[in-house]
Amino acid sequence: MSKWSMVIDLDKCVACQACSIACRFENNTPVAAPDQSEMGRAIRWNDVFPLPVEGEGEYPNTKERYITRPCMHCENPPCIKVCPVGATYQDEEGIVRQNYARCIGCRLCTVGCPYTVRYFNWSAPEWVSPLSEHLNPDRVEGSGVLEGPSIRPRGVVEKCTYCIHRLKKAHEQADAEGREFRADEYVPACVQTCTGKARFFGDLDDPTSTVAQLSQKRRAFRLLEEAGTNPKTIYLQEG
Amino acid sequence: MNKAWHPKNEREEIVLSPIHAVTNNDLWLWGILAAILLAGLVSWGIQFFVTGLSATGLNRPVYWGLYITNFVFFIGLAHSGTFISAILRLAGQGWRKPLTRAAEAITLFSLPFGVTSILIDMGRPDRVLNIFIYGRFQSPLLWDITAVSLYLFSSVVFFYLSLLPDIALCRDRLTEVPAWQHRMYEILSLGWTGRNGQFERLEKALDGMAIFMTMLVITVHTVVSWVFGMTIQPGWHTALIGPFFLLGAIFSGTSAVVIVLAILRKAYHMENVLPVSLFNSLRKLLITFTLGWLYMMIAENLTTSYGNLPEEMRVLGQKTGGDFAIMFWAMWILVFFVPLLIFIFKGKDNIPWMVGATVMVNIGMWMERFIVIVPTETRPRLLYELTKGVYRPTLIEWVITASLFSGLILLYSMFTRFFPIVPLWETADSLEPEENEKPVIGFRQHKFGATSSAMLKGK
Amino acid sequence: MSRNISRRDFLKMGGLAAGSAAALGALKNVMSAQAATESAGSVTTAADQKIVASTCHLCSAGCGILVRVANGKAVKLEGNPMHPINQGSLCPKGQAAPELLYNPDRLTGPMKRDRATGATTPITWDEAIKTVSQKLNDLRKAGHPEQIVMMHGDTRGQMRSFLTRFMEAVGSPNTVSHESLNVAAAKLGNYLTQGVYDLPAYDIEKTNYILSFGANFLEAGSNPQRTISGYTYLRRGRATRGKVVVIDPRQGIHGAKADEWIPIKPGTDAALALGMANVIIKSGLVDADFVKNYSFGFDNDGKRKGFKDFVLENYDPAKVEQITGVPATTIARLAGEFASNKPAIAMLPGKGGLLNGGFGGVYAAMAVHILNALVGSVEKPGGTMTQRYMPCVEYPKLPSDSAASKGLKTERIDGAGTKFPLGRNAYQAVADSILAGAPVETLFLYDANPAFETPGGKRFADAFKMVPFVVSFSSFMDESAELADLILPEPTFLERWGDDHIEGLGYPGVSLYQPVIEPLYDTMNTGDFFLKVAETMGGTVAKAFAWKSYEEVLQFRLKDIGADWKTFTELGVWFQPGYRFAKRGSAHWIEEVVGKDRMNTPRDGYFDLYSRELNCLLGKKKKAELAPLGITMTGDGANMPHYEATAFAGDETEFPLTLNVITLMSLGPKSEAANMPTLQEISGMTVGETWGSWLEMNPETATSLGLKDKDTVSVESAFGKIQTKVRLVKALRPDVVNLPFNLGHTAGGRFAKNRGVNGLELLNPASEPLTGLAAFTNTRVKVDR
Repeated sequence: MSKWSMVIDLDKCVACQACSIACRFENNTPVAAPDQSEMGRAIRWNDVFPLPVEGEGEYPNTKERYITRPCMHCENPPCIKVCPVGATYQDEEGIVRQNYARCIGCRLCTVGCPYTVRYFNWSAPEWVSPLSEHLNPDRVEGSGVLEGPSIRPRGVVEKCTYCIHRLKKAHEQADAEGREFRADEYVPACVQTCTGKARFFGDLDDPTSTVAQLSQKRRAFRLLEEAGTNPKTIYLQEG
Repeated sequence: MNKAWHPKNEREEIVLSPIHAVTNNDLWLWGILAAILLAGLVSWGIQFFVTGLSATGLNRPVYWGLYITNFVFFIGLAHSGTFISAILRLAGQGWRKPLTRAAEAITLFSLPFGVTSILIDMGRPDRVLNIFIYGRFQSPLLWDITAVSLYLFSSVVFFYLSLLPDIALCRDRLTEVPAWQHRMYEILSLGWTGRNGQFERLEKALDGMAIFMTMLVITVHTVVSWVFGMTIQPGWHTALIGPFFLLGAIFSGTSAVVIVLAILRKAYHMENVLPVSLFNSLRKLLITFTLGWLYMMIAENLTTSYGNLPEEMRVLGQKTGGDFAIMFWAMWILVFFVPLLIFIFKGKDNIPWMVGATVMVNIGMWMERFIVIVPTETRPRLLYELTKGVYRPTLIEWVITASLFSGLILLYSMFTRFFPIVPLWETADSLEPEENEKPVIGFRQHKFGATSSAMLKGK
Repeated sequence: MSRNISRRDFLKMGGLAAGSAAALGALKNVMSAQAATESAGSVTTAADQKIVASTCHLCSAGCGILVRVANGKAVKLEGNPMHPINQGSLCPKGQAAPELLYNPDRLTGPMKRDRATGATTPITWDEAIKTVSQKLNDLRKAGHPEQIVMMHGDTRGQMRSFLTRFMEAVGSPNTVSHESLNVAAAKLGNYLTQGVYDLPAYDIEKTNYILSFGANFLEAGSNPQRTISGYTYLRRGRATRGKVVVIDPRQGIHGAKADEWIPIKPGTDAALALGMANVIIKSGLVDADFVKNYSFGFDNDGKRKGFKDFVLENYDPAKVEQITGVPATTIARLAGEFASNKPAIAMLPGKGGLLNGGFGGVYAAMAVHILNALVGSVEKPGGTMTQRYMPCVEYPKLPSDSAASKGLKTERIDGAGTKFPLGRNAYQAVADSILAGAPVETLFLYDANPAFETPGGKRFADAFKMVPFVVSFSSFMDESAELADLILPEPTFLERWGDDHIEGLGYPGVSLYQPVIEPLYDTMNTGDFFLKVAETMGGTVAKAFAWKSYEEVLQFRLKDIGADWKTFTELGVWFQPGYRFAKRGSAHWIEEVVGKDRMNTPRDGYFDLYSRELNCLLGKKKKAELAPLGITMTGDGANMPHYEATAFAGDETEFPLTLNVITLMSLGPKSEAANMPTLQEISGMTVGETWGSWLEMNPETATSLGLKDKDTVSVESAFGKIQTKVRLVKALRPDVVNLPFNLGHTAGGRFAKNRGVNGLELLNPASEPLTGLAAFTNTRVKVDR
């Protein structure tokens, strides 16, 4: 089975936010109204934001830095540990999944994540007509299961899924064509759209994959490495 | 007050007199409290049926706020009863006996509001059964549910067992109460007669439960703290959080007992039954707890600030000098500085001062819960969105908070109108029986012990 | 009694039992909790899906898109991997395009507006066509077709030449492009030196060194995606990393990602470029072959001073340090690095840069482009390229028409070529002309919202009042459409036929717009509209437009691109990859590269270091005549790039700070983007702001003014006053403040309206006398609590 991982080269990232917005239109996250956005309730599974660096200098020897941040899909996820009902779980391919049908909205996972990658539906998502026409029709559903771009109800937690629906579609395509699934058939929306071609995606267990090789580079680092979460979203330093 | 019943002695008269006379003042009080409670229910109804949690001030990153603060606070209050009844019982502190039921009633009535706070905070309270169907024991929330459920169940049993002989007393003594009330006593007393070693078995059961409850009380609030402590967030992830919460719970619980006792004493004219000596004993405990709280705060904050880890210091900075500075330092004043001075210098033999101090303590302890929970959330490790991380609770949250308190007070004061708030059977030792008095059903005759049945035979 | 005991015991045992049950239940859960994985659901999707190739229109990059249409709805855009500009990428504006298509404030059909009441009434397209045809024919009959004015915006591809042809057929010279607000300065800079009226294309992928003079090339500019692609390849796509130096009072993202950020004093770029030229010449680092054999005016020639002496005499680094605030040692070092790390590029701003709109901005553009010439980067791999275009089939010659020819001989309404001798379009000056009494009877606004997007846009509101018939083709009720008489909404770019020429890569290409779904509303492609108008007008105008649809026009014009229409519509793009660098002095060089657009001077293949075009224009003028044109340098200096001290609009002591209005990557330059709620939500990411404006200010400056972060402040210039929130940004020159562009709309939809403030209200609405450029970057402001 693949172990899905993403590598983001911060040297190539220009903080344009295409990733965040591609994710929104792929996964049906709602727009936050001005007052909600002001309160900090905006839902962007991938978020781009300034990352103040300690001791960053004074004008003119100062630099603004930004980071783009999807879910880390940790190998040792603190969120899964604390979920009381198993609404969040890790599948065999290493993706930390979220089942909206089972979530009770206790938000232990959201406060437990040290990367703050999780979001909560404070109210039911709404789209002013006719904006709802543009919703992605892909659904990941089953008995007691609601995941991915499926429209979320109020009161449940959601987060980046490494575009699980795209993975499933790719698997189905391969099955339908009677051949083996290839790791390069599937990329999350953010990886596909990146204007700087800064994002890479693939199977970390395959030593020939781009992500595996990049993860070994000198520039490679993980966020909050000391936290022991072992994230599978890996970054390459600038410069 | 109906004087048609015949109290056997002054003590009985005092303790039983609040019952069977619901006054107009009571109705006013209950009306107001019920109105606030109703406002809370309506608010929650709006939140559940219409708006969801968007009606609160909660946001990202402050996912938990007033509701969880209330949860922790009310569970903490609940430790009052268990501490007095169970721990002091095991420690053989006899002076506690008049307080036991009043304290346990706080436990009994505050626990449900603690549990309700969780339901109010959940995004999908309609899915609460998922916890039982799919519950995962890896999660601190499951430990919480288990411990609190056990605690609630045990408290009910413990309370009921302790109350049982007195219900029988009411059944037998209070002949002039409404028929439904008498029927209630009949049913609830389960045919208790006080004979045939019932008291011995009761005492044994209570002893056994006391041990169990002591273990529970240490577990429950520790486990509540581990909902925070088991994450790796700065300010939460400290080994001290368990003992810290536990001490805080016992501290605020005991303070609540003082407040409640003072009110009962005043309202029901129980000066002789609840003498100042009780308050003095509690005062000594409270001084110990206050100093214990200081110890915890120093241990925690000195360790943090000495270590100077950036993420920890950001959170500590929020408390000492940032957005929460006012509340933080107010907490110190309300929980520590002023009460300690009052306890030491003004509290002896002085109930009004004690009440003043303990009210401050509880306000401060509520703030302390808030201070533990919210500042950590406002400073996530990955500093982002330069303008967010602010939490302003909304009216719905405050109304619901108020309704929890009014609910507690309402249930409590209604209870005192139907059941004796001071145990009569447990404190019979201190009763000096009159000469040649026949033993009366409902009174334990420790001194007469095994001869009670003999005397009955002789009857 | 036993009954009682058993009840009590039952209670006790019950308690224990319940407790044990809970514990057992919990134990069971411990077991199951170890299985961390659960069975997952299956994926379902829309039954009917297709992918349609098209092009994005939310900025001037023109990225190729593949639109996923599911069950008849356009649900997602991706970049077209085949398109050379974006190669599969797509920026946030493009990704958010479904919010444009399905926007709740789309105009659903043509309407007319009552000027007195402001009320709008729906009309039919037939009525609209008839009304417009009538108006135009009346004006032709009256002998004044020049009183018809067409103002247009970015208007890419064939549409620009189509509209121009229509106007010429009708008989009006007044097709006014908005380029005077942005790209015209760079184009003129190129024209006066290299003799090409276009933006240079930069071979970023192969260069070693980029010196960017205010080009906001990672956030905006004329082709942000192209420059982002080039930049990231420069950094990580090849063995050597390349050095990037950004010269800009604001760091922005390009400065943050550069190797060096030079916070230059606003308006002094010409001095810096010439200071560097001084060092390059003095150090003997010029490309001798180019300078000696393929340029004009390096050395003195009898009476005429040459560029070399002029620069050596006037732009010593020490003097330039005084002017620009950049240390002389830095100037010298950068010049040395630039000249020794060939190939190197001195990059002009395409849009939103500070060279535009400053008095003397054209000279600055010349100076910057000349740096490329000095080090031999012109028409060299890793240097500059001359943008080529796909061959278009020539339109048939316009039928001769006396009404039209008379009208075409009149002076342009915007003063281009007359009042502004060097100007070709002076968009913002149209309002001034109208307000000064120049007669305009009919005004078309295509892809144009001048009431919002020009400095002092309110002048256009006043000007419109003096025009009897204003027609807007906007898809939204924007600030200008609100004042129009007829609003004839065109479909969004996802619903119409059109094209775009690929710019920025040097080699030619064309990109297609096509309807990805049937148009949602009763809209009409403006191209189709004018075809119908022409048909209705009859006569020579009808003869000039024999096509039945705009799609047919495209098919006609693009017949020779090398692909048939079917292939083109499937791929969405067609191009000739591989830029062929002309050999110096070859016929190709002379015809296509150096001097090809010259109008008054020889097309001899010489790169003008001394501008002969300028000499034609200015050579005979005396000092007194030059001053009103904003030129203080006299003699030969006036024909060469030089530093003109910026005449700032606003007293320096009363208004101590300079104001910039910055185009963002999030909102982009188009008014309609401001009504896309997602873009409003993410607009202020760099400072953590959302759905509103902010003023960027250096923290030291804020402290000196007694301001804290997030205070509400008023920002006032000599032209207006607004209130907004101040945000402290360290990476900003202390004497400069920034406002974001495309906020502060008063119309255009519910998401755009009343969000933030429009910084353009504060800017100088003047036009530069020589060039007709909008001269707004010299605006000074004061900021108070």
